[in-house]
Amino acid sequence: MSFDFHRPATVTEAVDLAQRLFPTARFIAGGSDIVIQINRKKIDPSHLIDVACLPGLSGIAETSDEFTLGALTKYHTIETHPAFAGSLRALIEAASVIGGRQVQNIATIGGNIVNASPAADFVPVLLALDAVLDITGPNGSRSVPLQDFIVGPGKTSLLPVEIVTSIRLAKLPARSATAFVKEGRRRAMEISVVCVAACLTLEAGGSRCASVRLAIGAAAPKVFRAKAAEAYLEGQLADQTSFAEAGKLAAEECAPISDVRASADYRRRLVSIMVERALTACFERTGEERR
Amino acid sequence: MNRKILNIVVNGESHQVLIEPHWTLLQVLRNEIGMMGTKENCLEAECGVCTVLLDGKAVNSCILLAGQVEGCSITTIEGIGDPEHLHPLQQTFIECGAVQCGYCIPGMILTAKSFLDENPGSRPSRDEIREAIAGTLCRCTGYSKIIDAVATAAERMAISGGSQ
Ligand SMILES: Cc1cc2nc3c(=O)[nH]c(=O)nc-3n(C[C@H](O)[C@H](O)[C@H](O)COP(=O)(O)OP(=O)(O)OC[C@H]3O[C@@H](n4cnc5c(N)ncnc54)[C@H](O)[C@@H]3O)c2cc1C
Ligand code: FES
Ligand code: FES
Repeated sequence: MSFDFHRPATVTEAVDLAQRLFPTARFIAGGSDIVIQINRKKIDPSHLIDVACLPGLSGIAETSDEFTLGALTKYHTIETHPAFAGSLRALIEAASVIGGRQVQNIATIGGNIVNASPAADFVPVLLALDAVLDITGPNGSRSVPLQDFIVGPGKTSLLPVEIVTSIRLAKLPARSATAFVKEGRRRAMEISVVCVAACLTLEAGGSRCASVRLAIGAAAPKVFRAKAAEAYLEGQLADQTSFAEAGKLAAEECAPISDVRASADYRRRLVSIMVERALTACFERTGEERR
Repeated sequence: MNRKILNIVVNGESHQVLIEPHWTLLQVLRNEIGMMGTKENCLEAECGVCTVLLDGKAVNSCILLAGQVEGCSITTIEGIGDPEHLHPLQQTFIECGAVQCGYCIPGMILTAKSFLDENPGSRPSRDEIREAIAGTLCRCTGYSKIIDAVATAAERMAISGGSQ
C-alpha cells in the first residue's frame, strides 16, 4: 500500500490531475468505501485525488422545480434537511439506515452512486426520483440520467477522469409521496438483503395511480426499476389489491442471487412484500399531504 | 514515499505531524500524538471503538486518511473532561455502571456526545439513543446501562442548559 495524496483546489485542477496521472489515480470523497478497498488490497492506486474539499460540490440548492444535491452531500445532511421531510421522505429514510452515525457523517451520496453496488441503499431512492447526474471531465460538463449511468455491478459510464459534481431531482407533483424500506439481517449497520424505493403520484381528485416509480436494490446485478409493476399500476385504483399485484410482478422481474445473506428465493419473496409495503406507505403519506 | 506535514488541532492544541499518505487519523492520534484513549479494533468502520469528533461530529478515525483532515479540529476522549472535571456523560457512565471492560467506552461516549450536542437541551427517547449509538458496539453488551447513562446525561445537560 503506497500512494500519493493530492488535494487540488478546483474541479478543473482535479480533472487535469486525474488525466495526467491516468490510469493510476482514483478520486476519494468520504473514503468510506475506497479506503477499505485499499486496506483489503482489492485495489492499489498510486495516487488518490481528494475531491472532498473542492468548492461547488457541497450543499443542497432548491429552485421552483428542482433540488440540486452536491455530490459531496453527506447522509447526515440529507437526514436533517427540512425540505425532505415531506413528499421526498424516502431520501431521509435511506440516509438514516446507511451505516451508523459515524459513517453518515463522512460518506457521500456521490460515492454511493459511483460505487454502483447492487445493494446500495441511496441509489434506489434516486432512481425512483428519476435523478439526473451532472458530470465534469476534460471536455467540459455533461448530464446523464442515473438510470443510464449505472451499467452493471460496480460499473458505471463514468470515465476515470470525470467527476460527478451534482445530482438533480425534479420536484414531485401534488398528491405524491415516496417511501424507502430496507431489510437486512439486523436492524442497523447492515447491508441490504433487499431494499425498495417507491414514488407514487395519485390522479388529481381521484384515488387511482397516475404514475408510479419502483426501484429495487440487492435483487439483481444492479439496482433496477420494476417497469412491469410500474406499468401495471398506472390507472389502477391505489389499494391493497393492486399493490399486492405490483409486488408479485416486481418479484417476477427481479433476478436475485443466493449469497451469505439470503437465498434467491427468500429475496424474491421479500421483493414482493416490500414493494407492497413501500406502496402502502406512499399511499398513506399522500393522505397526510391531503389533510 | 512522499511524507507530508499534517496540520491538525487535537483537543484544542495545534499539532504538526510528518505523515505518510496512507496513515489514518487513528494511526496519527495513537502513534504520533499519543492519544491512546482512541481504540482500534475492526479497522473497517464497523465497531466504532475508534470514534472521535471531527469538527464536533462523530466519525470513524480508522477509515479516515490523515490527509483528509488537514486543518481540521479533532476531539478525543481525553479532550472532553479530566478526573477533576468529568463531562456529564463520563459522570453518568460511572454512576450507571455502564462500563464493563471499558474498551468501547471512549467511542461510545463520543458517539453519544455528538448526538446530544446536535440537539442541545433535548431529552431523547431510549429508541432514539439506541439508533444514535448503533454504529458503536459493546462486546460486553452492556447496552441497557449505556442507554441509562446517555439518557441521564441528556437530562442533566438539558437542565443545566449549556453544552459541555
Ligand atoms: C461501516 C459501513 C457501513 C456501510 N453501510 C452502507 C449501507 O448500509 N448502505 C449503503 O448503500 N452503503 C453502505 N456503505 C458503503 C459506502 O460507504 C457508501 O456507499 C458511501 O456513500 C460511499 O461514499 P464515500 O464518499 O465514502 O465514497 P469513497 O469511498 O470516497 O468513494 C467511493 C468510490 O466512488 C468514487 N467517487 C466518490 N465520489 C466521487 C465523485 N464525486 N466523482 C467521481 N467519483 C467519485 C471514488 O473514486 C471511489 O471509487 C457502508 C460503508 C461502511 C464503511
Ligand atoms: S476500529 Fe474503527 S470502527 Fe472499528
Ligand atoms: S464495556 Fe466492554 S466492550 Fe463495551
